[in-house]
Amino acid sequence: MPRIGIPRALLYYHYFPWWEAFFVSLGAEVVISPPTTKAILDRGLEHAADDVCLPVKVAVGHVLELKDRVDAIFLPRLVSVAAREYICPKFLGLPEMVGHSIKGLPPLLSPGLNLYRGGSPYHFFAALGRALGYPPWQVLAAYRRACRVQQQYKRLLESGLFPEEALAALRGRHDAAAPRDTMGSPLVAVIGHPYNIYDAFVSMDLLGKLGRRGIKVITADSLSEENVCRGAAHLPKRLFWTLGRRTVGAAYHYLQWGRVDGMIHVSSFACGPDSFAGEFIARRAHRMGLPFLSLVLDEHSGEAGMVTRLEAFLDMVERRKKYREEGSAS
Amino acid sequence: MRGYLGIDVGSVSTNIVFLSERGEVCEAVYLRTRGQPIRALQEGLGELRRRLPAEVSVLGVGATGSGRYLAGLVTGADVIKNEITSHAVAASTLVPGVQTVIEIGGQDSKLIILRGGIVADFAMNTVCAAGTGSFLDQQAARLGIPIEDFGRLALQSSAPVRIAGRCAVFAESDMIHKQQMGYSLADILAGLCEALVRNYLNNVGKGKEILPPVVFQGGVAANAGMKRAFEKALGMEVIVPPYYHVMGAVGAALLAREKMAARRPSKFKGFGVTEARFQAAGFECGGCPNACEVVELREGGEVLARWGDRCGRWSSSLGLQNVG
Repeated sequence: MPRIGIPRALLYYHYFPWWEAFFVSLGAEVVISPPTTKAILDRGLEHAADDVCLPVKVAVGHVLELKDRVDAIFLPRLVSVAAREYICPKFLGLPEMVGHSIKGLPPLLSPGLNLYRGGSPYHFFAALGRALGYPPWQVLAAYRRACRVQQQYKRLLESGLFPEEALAALRGRHDAAAPRDTMGSPLVAVIGHPYNIYDAFVSMDLLGKLGRRGIKVITADSLSEENVCRGAAHLPKRLFWTLGRRTVGAAYHYLQWGRVDGMIHVSSFACGPDSFAGEFIARRAHRMGLPFLSLVLDEHSGEAGMVTRLEAFLDMVERRKKYREEGSAS
Repeated sequence: MRGYLGIDVGSVSTNIVFLSERGEVCEAVYLRTRGQPIRALQEGLGELRRRLPAEVSVLGVGATGSGRYLAGLVTGADVIKNEITSHAVAASTLVPGVQTVIEIGGQDSKLIILRGGIVADFAMNTVCAAGTGSFLDQQAARLGIPIEDFGRLALQSSAPVRIAGRCAVFAESDMIHKQQMGYSLADILAGLCEALVRNYLNNVGKGKEILPPVVFQGGVAANAGMKRAFEKALGMEVIVPPYYHVMGAVGAALLAREKMAARRPSKFKGFGVTEARFQAAGFECGGCPNACEVVELREGGEVLARWGDRCGRWSSSLGLQNVG
């Protein structure tokens, strides 16, 4: 029974149940790297190219974490996950970057997923199954099962669970499946890539900090694809980066929705698409008079600076809310 | 005499004010922090105590600045607030109707946009210090000019030199170049002010709608050359309020007054804290690969607080508030 390592990084937050169910159905054992720590980031910094973004450096650290514990590491080459859209080029080159900069790695499982011209992701899984030496009928059955699990995961996310909660619910922990209460307030939309906002180390525990201050949080991941598309349709031109389109689409949707009291955009330094997606969102939020905070993460970020900005932002949210309520009461 | 204490422990200076019940500044103390925030705070409180009448009664304490949690623990603050909110509250109280606050301190700079008396947007400088007071400090030192004379000299300039202010390192080589070409000191100093203002407006002020009245506060507002450079760049009057250098502390005191309006007893430990022996020490936790640097504050033998750990293992072990 092969042990397959999956790094807890990048699109793990989007697709982990899909990948895990596929491997497990084939009879493989799946090992996930532990949540990000300073040691994981430091090792990633040592081995990653200088000019990549923070999340890619973190991903390299997770690969190193798995290196001596598994028979193979699953590091897919994600080119496109939707028609006429692309995933960031840094994801595309990740298998090469890792393969060339880390010595003594177990074999990398890096099938390519490219749905730019449409088609089914089945070919991706078929290549993966072939590489592992399983017969086609078994691969097809595992693929079907994996797709069902991924559908279920998406439904859990859309019910308002955050990825780790949805994963726990998939594992049968029903206490984790209670839908998130977004009633009452203040309600803040946290917009950013899942690998930035749900990684408590990278985001300096942004979601935990908000929770402890009594703030309710919603993110892009509880939105259906239709809502994201409607939001992104306000842009003058189609955004062809899938992740950037999700970010802008979700932010625009929440701005239109009118029930959030503030919005935080989380981006990583050196992320090209984030730099302008953030600007699109900031301009619209300002036009609508919604409190907005842009948090840029990198490996040098001091927590003190982040806490100061966050506190000032929350004061702004609360004072504005109080002022409006007093205004409408009198 | 009754009133409120406002304490602002910043990276460069520690400021303490005493505010009357009506919100007027009675006394203000401004000290250099010199890397020892607790000592600066104790010295400042001692100085304030000497200036105030003997029968003074403190109704509430507010702490702000990057050392706000430390200051709050040492003195027993009733309110601990970030610098942005404190500066905004002070500016809008002392200059009613203010719509823009420019605050430049030693290590950081901020821009706060207010509309209808409440904060609508803000920005702080990021990693670069080229838009802050330490940049001016450094360049003045290089030119051998006391920072106090900087503004007066810069005002004598009639044709400021253009200096590349995008980066402190390049600004310095550019200044040397201009100096060797024979420009006057006044023109170079005024040029530096303009470079810093340009840098501030491009970085911190990027995309922000700056409307009058504009208030300029923080230590750098003492520099008349900077005020003039802002007025020139913005094309509008820039107001430097009285107490511009201690506005953060004024804001903290005003926030304490707001909170204590319900007449609850203050947590202030009394001026005796100036005599107490506080010790702050750090250690690296070996509990997990995060290797957090934990800071411990002790008064005498007793541990008052710990912070810096991501998981709460140390900070929560005392049953005290989780700082940050």
